[in-house]
Amino acid sequence: MMSHSSLHVRGRDVLGLCCLPGECVLQRAVLVRKKLSAKEGGGWLSGTLFCTHFRVAFVPQDSQKPDDNADPVLLGDHDVALASIDKVVAVGPSRTKLVTPSCSLKFTPEELVLYCRDLRVLCFLFDRLTPDTQAVEITYTIAKTYQPLKPGTIISFQNAALGSIEMKQFLSNRRRDPTMNWFESSLGWEQELERTCATGWRVSSVNDRFEMSTSLPRFSVVPQRVLDTELKKTFAHFNEGRIPRWCWRHPRGSDLLRMASFQNNIYHEKDDIRNLESVLFGGQQLCVIVDLGEEMPSPADIQLAHTRLRTLCLGDISSSVSVPDDKWLSTLESTRWLDYTRCCLRKAAEVACLLRGGHMTVVLQEPEDRDMNCVVCSLVQVMCDPHCRTVAGFQSLVQKEWITAGHKFLSRINYHRESDKEEAPVFLLFLDCVWQLWAQYPARFQLTEDYLLALHDSVHLPLFSSLLANSQRERCRRSQHLPQSYTPVNGLRELPMGGPEEPVDPPFPPVWDWALQYSSQRRVRFTQPVSQPTCPPPVLNGNLNTNLDRGWHNDGLPGSVFLLSRSTFSHPSNLLPWRSGNSGSYWKSHRRAPSSESVSGLERLIRACSLSEPSENSATLHDPYEPLLPLLLGPCVRVWRSCYLRGALHAQAFSHPVSSCTQHPLERLSWEVQQLREKLAQASNRGPENQTKRQEPRRQESNLNQNANNGTFLFSSSSKTSQQQASPSRGASHSSVRPEPSGQHPTCPGLHRGTTASTRFCSATNKSRRSQGSVTFPPLVPNFPNAQETHTDLQAGRKRHPLVFVLLKRYNTVQTET
Amino acid sequence: MASAPLAPYNSSPLGISSSQNASRESLKMEPLADVAVLPGEERVIDKEIIYICPFNSAVKGKVSITNYRLYFKNTDSETPVTLNVPLGVISRVEKMGGASSRGENSYGLEITCKDMRNLRFALKQEGHSRRDIFEILFKYAFPLSHGMQLFAFLSQEKYEENGWNVYEPLEEYRRQGLPNSEWRVTFINKNYELCDTYPTILVVPYKATDEDLRRVATFRSRCRIPVLSWFHKENHAVITRCSQPLVGMSGKRNKDDERYLDIIRDANGTIKLTIYDARPNVNAVANKATGGGYEGDDAYQNAELVFLDIHNIHVMRESLKKLKDIVYPNVEESHWLSSLESTHWLEHIKLVLSGAIQVADKVSSGNSVVVHCSDGWDRTAQLTSLSMLMLDSYYRTLGGFQVLLEKEWIGFGHKFASRIGHGDKNHADQDRSPIFLQFIDCVWQMTKQFPTAFEFNERLLVVILDHLYSCRFGTFLYNCESARESNNVRVKTVSLWSLINSDTSLYINPFYTPESSRVLYPVASMRHLELWVTYYIRWNPRIQHQQQSPVEQRYKELLALRDQYLKKLEELQLSDSAPSSTHLTNSSAPNAATPNQHITHLQTPF
Repeated sequence: MMSHSSLHVRGRDVLGLCCLPGECVLQRAVLVRKKLSAKEGGGWLSGTLFCTHFRVAFVPQDSQKPDDNADPVLLGDHDVALASIDKVVAVGPSRTKLVTPSCSLKFTPEELVLYCRDLRVLCFLFDRLTPDTQAVEITYTIAKTYQPLKPGTIISFQNAALGSIEMKQFLSNRRRDPTMNWFESSLGWEQELERTCATGWRVSSVNDRFEMSTSLPRFSVVPQRVLDTELKKTFAHFNEGRIPRWCWRHPRGSDLLRMASFQNNIYHEKDDIRNLESVLFGGQQLCVIVDLGEEMPSPADIQLAHTRLRTLCLGDISSSVSVPDDKWLSTLESTRWLDYTRCCLRKAAEVACLLRGGHMTVVLQEPEDRDMNCVVCSLVQVMCDPHCRTVAGFQSLVQKEWITAGHKFLSRINYHRESDKEEAPVFLLFLDCVWQLWAQYPARFQLTEDYLLALHDSVHLPLFSSLLANSQRERCRRSQHLPQSYTPVNGLRELPMGGPEEPVDPPFPPVWDWALQYSSQRRVRFTQPVSQPTCPPPVLNGNLNTNLDRGWHNDGLPGSVFLLSRSTFSHPSNLLPWRSGNSGSYWKSHRRAPSSESVSGLERLIRACSLSEPSENSATLHDPYEPLLPLLLGPCVRVWRSCYLRGALHAQAFSHPVSSCTQHPLERLSWEVQQLREKLAQASNRGPENQTKRQEPRRQESNLNQNANNGTFLFSSSSKTSQQQASPSRGASHSSVRPEPSGQHPTCPGLHRGTTASTRFCSATNKSRRSQGSVTFPPLVPNFPNAQETHTDLQAGRKRHPLVFVLLKRYNTVQTET
Repeated sequence: MASAPLAPYNSSPLGISSSQNASRESLKMEPLADVAVLPGEERVIDKEIIYICPFNSAVKGKVSITNYRLYFKNTDSETPVTLNVPLGVISRVEKMGGASSRGENSYGLEITCKDMRNLRFALKQEGHSRRDIFEILFKYAFPLSHGMQLFAFLSQEKYEENGWNVYEPLEEYRRQGLPNSEWRVTFINKNYELCDTYPTILVVPYKATDEDLRRVATFRSRCRIPVLSWFHKENHAVITRCSQPLVGMSGKRNKDDERYLDIIRDANGTIKLTIYDARPNVNAVANKATGGGYEGDDAYQNAELVFLDIHNIHVMRESLKKLKDIVYPNVEESHWLSSLESTHWLEHIKLVLSGAIQVADKVSSGNSVVVHCSDGWDRTAQLTSLSMLMLDSYYRTLGGFQVLLEKEWIGFGHKFASRIGHGDKNHADQDRSPIFLQFIDCVWQMTKQFPTAFEFNERLLVVILDHLYSCRFGTFLYNCESARESNNVRVKTVSLWSLINSDTSLYINPFYTPESSRVLYPVASMRHLELWVTYYIRWNPRIQHQQQSPVEQRYKELLALRDQYLKKLEELQLSDSAPSSTHLTNSSAPNAATPNQHITHLQTPF
């Protein structure tokens, strides 16, 4: 066995592994080949395999020498953190063996397979030239060092990653992403109220010291007319004090709220009742309570389904139990994972349709308000609010509805292996739902599948403050020990201290600090190069055209409450405990029988969702708030292959060399169109000039109009970066906007790589977008399912794929002119 | 009424709306006020009728039947509901209910289609109102059963391209590097004397004389001797195809056949010739009872025999029938996957693909192979053409794919007429089977797994399948080349490739990146195969019409723009200087100022 000390180098290792500060290389093996997934281009990559006390790292032979001064990145593109490893399997000439810390290996492994908790499967092949001892030792070392998560081990892992002084210093100087809303201050909430044009609501800080509710965030949004003193009295009426809180306003003027179940057996005083009703109704006439308690999967269901799905998808060499291929479909069905996905999507779609009706509060109710409420509430917003389909918007959403709202990440992910009973990957189910939406409407998202995958994988790393606590209170308590973080209110210091491990805790970064986790090449793929606006133009409150005639008419009875459960509306008498008569002084005159008309009106709203046709009609294209309604029929809800089947056999990736002599068909075509346009311009110049009147603006046209702006902004904002790529011959060819002399642009799939330029473009567009119509302009570049990674050197994300520029420019110029 | 030829796909010049709904029949004809008639198409009857739409409800409207199609348009509401069904698609027309049946809309017609849908129409119960329409439909949907001609022979369509010229056998063999010192072209079958279901031009081992071929023919079912399908330029390995040997119960042997296969083996020095028998082992054994069989170990010592376990046409037919049951009209939610599994459709796809992978792998590693099933025109065609698609990037181009179909399917006598039952009323014919559909499905699976490897797109595949049934083109008519020749198909009908090649841009995959040397091995695993939803479930408005990737969308938009510009240019040239706010209505007028402005703006940064 190699001596550890000889390899214990800080900073850069001789063999090219860029170590984190304080990271020790425990073992290494040379001449190892890593099997690449289809997404990575397939085939094998040779290099050196390392095991440190934080990760298993693989450095490809010809990888570029990393910049010593660059900021540390936790994981390289081919690395896996020890905490993500679930199983280590050694494959020998004639046998395979599950390697545990205690077992001995009686053969030299030819292949090392790491099964990861995030469903990746990494496969390393030792060459015949790899010294046997290295192959054996690294297998041992990994098996001994990786920590099957159990109480206690997690801390050493965290320390290995972030515990060094340098790392702590580095982390303390990190700036938070200013583009997203963290919802940690009242300002954040106020911005959200402003963004959604919600009036009649205010930010209350009654829970500033977590005295009213330990699991709620410090700030909640409540109706303006409810005073804090009145509000305080309502907490007792809800489980864990989780009162109805405002989450989002639909542009048609309905509000989305969430709350826990009512505390029964409590006397309702007259004043209480008035306050409770005010809190539920906001300023609206009607309130629909959506019950998420019964028909949704329970955390235990989700856990079971996920366990089955994992077992099914991973296929395991060591246990050699794998589902026969011809039973794959039915076995997949029997995991029920897809059923649960569908269930969440359906519920969210119903709520989304309901909100379309306008002028009501829709209140999601779940006994604890900490699982399904998070899922449905955020899904509704992903469906309805284009902002939530951008990276920044999505992160803000997760901050708002999960992290600060008190989803029990720590218990649900069960990092500490303290209580398996609580474990349930509710958040992963949510990510799956978002993926389903993304897969059905890729063009309506700015974020990509790569982003969702990155977030999926991060959930399995116990390193992020966002996920290492069950509530905002716990997070604040922890952050007190970190001088660099903001200190909440003074009073917090009085709160009791947590467990004994806390003083040694390294400072945990938020999960959104992607630069810490992924190289710029990876991060570039988180967004589509061209995207739709982050902010649709503000609409006057509730003023969106409701000419869709959804058949919903408010019957003018204020104070009606309905329950939406199993897709039907009802108004059970005990829906609101204080109205049920026997529990208090709710005065009779207040109780009205809601008319059956409004029930059928509401039902019509919902039916619109189940009957939704693929939304290609003009109405949806013109209204960015028209919800993305998921298609739920059997074939439409699919298994997230590129996540769950990453470890399984893949198609031989089809990586094309840069083809030099052919023009991309798109380019050819756009050139042709360009030529035609010029001809036409000449021809019509000779003819009458005043032909610009458009009598029937159509979808296509307005889209194109929109592009006029895109083109301008795209170009001016990205010109610098594109210049770097421009070859000398370019200038000449530009006079007529002809296609590139081909040969300098790689193949089309290379389009995939946008860079920072794209984000700049987006923000530029957004500015323009505000003053524009409300047309949603679908992004240009798709996700390529199997496309190879064209590894153009995107040095620190500065450069942009030339073809992207060429194409974007083409489209935009060409289209602008119509 | 006659207008320019209108392709059912993308009949509207504004490609956007129609292309997005390419597969939705309902919108296809929307821009047309009335039936757009093909040259040669004649209206036979118009009738008030009720279409019982399984996705909405009963729709009142008018149906028109021509000698080519059934066209329905609703009259009862603003939102258009239309049906445009080529009569060739119909496999069965039945009367539903009787004059005395009770219930609303219980009296009418039920039409079963070959393209995964059924149509129901209701009529007034009085006065035998359905008699005329039923009889006309029955006659025109099954013209061959009524001594009439298929529409392909009546069509007067004209295209810029002549699709009959896409495939010249000698040219294709030349492309493969043939003939050469090991393989020769023979015209022995020029009058279809050697084998009436083979094409006239065959490539056989150089060392085999015509006399050898005749003797081998006696030992192969329907005289379909092993002939070359594809030649690997580098390692000289070949794919040869044939039918089963006539071994029979007694285990007959034929020295000539044995020697012939050994010549094939020897042509590139392959040590062991691999014979892929597409059938399951049991079926091959069972075939001995009817005189067929397989190459025994004793007789063919330098060959290894591999069974590929692909089931016969009857199994496939039943599987598709089950599939239709679960996709039309209703699609399940939570039990969808197990229902899909129980149809075994994807499993059959998997077996065909994995068979082809084995063939391709063998050949690319330098070993020659022989592929056969029973008669060598169903599973054999699937295997050879799929493996050729994996091995040879030429076949992945738009033109090459046409050559592949012309050669391996049409030329080598896949029995399209029997398998599809063109113009034939006998809907329960045991010879019908979706073998070709299954092949196209396999191709689709490959295009999904290798999105950049194919020059053509999904639409081409759908159009091919639509015209497989439509009888508008001569391409897929008849069972073999000899029948096609005697019926003068090339002269009297138009080729489907004329339609396709006259506007190829519709069928181009914008992600295509040509590359020549790679062999494509798709993953033939249930974990990675998918149901081709956009074909099988395309009639369901609630199913996802795969949202186009943005690049593709943009490509389509550009196409539409191009068409628009072309049209406008034409108009401008016609009307020269007539001031017209009219002829530019409805289409975006070019703003002469902006483009120039814009271009200058774009130039500056460079």
